[in-house]
Amino acid sequence: MSENFKQLPEELQLATSAHVKYIQSLDTRKDEYDYWLTEHLRLNGLYWGLTSLHLLGHPDALPRAETIDFVLSCQHESGGFGAAPGHDAHMLSTVSAVQILAMVDAFDELESRGKGKAQVGKYIASLQNRQTGTFAGDEWGEEDTRFLYGAFNALSLLGLLHLVDVDKAVNHIAACANFDGGYGVSPGAESHAGQIFTCVAALTIAGRQDLVDKERLGRWLSERQIAGGGLNGRPEKKEDVCYSWWVLSSLEMIGKTHWIDKDQLIAFILRCQDPERGGISDRPGDMVDVWHTVFGLAGLSLLRYPGLEPVDEVYCMPKSTTARVLGR
Amino acid sequence: MADQGGSQHGIARTSRVRSEEQKQRDLQRIQKYRELEDQVRSHVSRADYSPQLFQLTSKLLRLNPEYYTLWNVRRRCLISGLFSRPSAGSSCSTACSSTFPTATTTQSSTSCSSSSSATTPPAPGSPTAGRSGTTAEPGAAGAPSGTFASDDPAQAPAADSTDSATAAAAAAAAEQQDLATIQSELSFTIPLLLESPKCYWIWSYRQWILAQAIARLRPHVARQVWEAELGLASKMLGKDRRNFHAWGYRRHVVTQLESAALRGASMVEAEFEYTYRMIQTDLSNFSAWHSRSKLIPRLLDERGADDAARRAFLDKELNQIREALNVGPEDQSLWYYHQFLMLNLVDPDKHPAMTRGIAAGDRAAYLAREIDEIKELLEDYPDVKLIYEALFEYTLYLCQLEDRQPTADERADLAAWLAKLKELDPMRNGRWADLERECGL
Repeated sequence: MSENFKQLPEELQLATSAHVKYIQSLDTRKDEYDYWLTEHLRLNGLYWGLTSLHLLGHPDALPRAETIDFVLSCQHESGGFGAAPGHDAHMLSTVSAVQILAMVDAFDELESRGKGKAQVGKYIASLQNRQTGTFAGDEWGEEDTRFLYGAFNALSLLGLLHLVDVDKAVNHIAACANFDGGYGVSPGAESHAGQIFTCVAALTIAGRQDLVDKERLGRWLSERQIAGGGLNGRPEKKEDVCYSWWVLSSLEMIGKTHWIDKDQLIAFILRCQDPERGGISDRPGDMVDVWHTVFGLAGLSLLRYPGLEPVDEVYCMPKSTTARVLGR
Repeated sequence: MADQGGSQHGIARTSRVRSEEQKQRDLQRIQKYRELEDQVRSHVSRADYSPQLFQLTSKLLRLNPEYYTLWNVRRRCLISGLFSRPSAGSSCSTACSSTFPTATTTQSSTSCSSSSSATTPPAPGSPTAGRSGTTAEPGAAGAPSGTFASDDPAQAPAADSTDSATAAAAAAAAEQQDLATIQSELSFTIPLLLESPKCYWIWSYRQWILAQAIARLRPHVARQVWEAELGLASKMLGKDRRNFHAWGYRRHVVTQLESAALRGASMVEAEFEYTYRMIQTDLSNFSAWHSRSKLIPRLLDERGADDAARRAFLDKELNQIREALNVGPEDQSLWYYHQFLMLNLVDPDKHPAMTRGIAAGDRAAYLAREIDEIKELLEDYPDVKLIYEALFEYTLYLCQLEDRQPTADERADLAAWLAKLKELDPMRNGRWADLERECGL
């Protein structure tokens, strides 16, 4: 996959302008029941949509000022963010808020108009289980390696990773490792591609990739590609576009992306597009959503699909953003 | 971030153009939904965590179980009134609740009642702090009198024997109240779980309710509540054998049932047996094989197995997986478990459970025999790539175990198997090329 975008056959064309329009339309669907049923994902959705637009090369397709206003309107006194105004603070929406503000370069607005970086860092740090090192999603205590990764992601973007016990968190991840080289939700849990992404990315942020059994994990990850080119998330499961991100980014982090057939995966993701109305679905012919859209596009970016902005495999954000924020 | 639900999975793409009738129906549903939501927010803004609000959350959660804030509102309603007030000397001792690692309610007493909590929840403390802090101060603003046990005499310190008898009766009544609330909450979530078996928030709420059982009920009462959960886990796994939420829930329930807080004892034998039953139903269930790999070390330790018993155990596992591979050599799940057994042989420092007493030479003999057995599989299945992959990997294991380079014959075998892998599995050519280079083939 390379050369010139224009030379690709029609079925391998990315419907860029349809995708941009699809994402722009998401916040105008207030006459659809689903719009209201998914309000608990609004801030996540904004992160998925904005990341998609950045990767598509249309970073300004959503209005910056309104984006910042909305993000700040979700913040609580505690520093944490809820999914939308009126929703409780949670790690998942807090991480999305930090990622969005990083993408639109608005940490200064968080200081001047929001509760400030330090308060966000304090909120996230308060969710660490100081005994085991893992993190809860909110004050009610659900624990999961997703939250640990989210904490590392947001805190490192804020430059506040020192607020938490990194070594203890790293030990917790090590306890989640399985004989097959993968990682689960918690110690004892089965390896799962989504959790592998969170664990390997957290270890990468912590500078502790030495703990990863790269040969064994790479083998497990590469075996996720099945006939048809798509990737599944566990052995003997169906393929799904979102694993184009969880599996592929993990392979990228351990330097084994060449262990799968990239062209077949590109073709699979592109078959999941809705070329007319935009968006990407889990499998060809299914309903699209912004979540599969961003992970499909991020996968294509990692696969060096022509015309897409490079994505950071650890943060699932444009590399240009992480380079600026992390100063690398 | 990982899947939080709300995304579309497996729903066929249809025209997004709605008929006028559909639009009208949507608008009506939106109106009903938003009215309910407005009512909830109105109560919350007044910090009125009343039974009315509680009932509104029931209605709205049935429409949308992914609405996590509603589950939190529901918790606050329970803490603010529907649960009894814990009293000193009641069954709700910090001793029993502190053994529960995820029972975390860091709400301070004021957080449920202060008006500022309506739009701004209190800053959460460490999730491990205040494990028994499910208290609501008497007179909390959110607790209307009448329905709530704010006049509970158990609040008063026992001064003499009459008072202590009264206190005991009050404690018993409080426990009854809490048990009824807990059971009602568990019932409430079941239809929601059946409809949305991958919804994190429902599972997490259910775990929180169960934590309340440990914190609020006497151990033998709490235990009965928890024991019923094994049935739920089995039911959910019966419907979807790979549901990792249900497997995780099962592990959590077992851990708690084994704990001192519930006067428990090890259930490792029963759980190991459960994995066996699951595998019998479906050999391809890697979740069950995985669970097996995690239970074996404990199982053997608790049996007090000596080296010979451990070796016999390994033999049995090997026979079982070999039989399975004879009928399903294309099944990754089986090969992963086979790999696990081989890792026990080749890396006994990391995986000592079954092989700690087997001398290095014997372990090599085991591997050699396994390689021979797998070669025999090729007679029936000459085009199954997983067989070649296993042969390749285990031959390298054997050399590693014997601390030597492959012999000329082995090198020829490795090269032939690799050629076959390239032919049968070109998707992973990058990996085969790396192996070829690393092994100098």
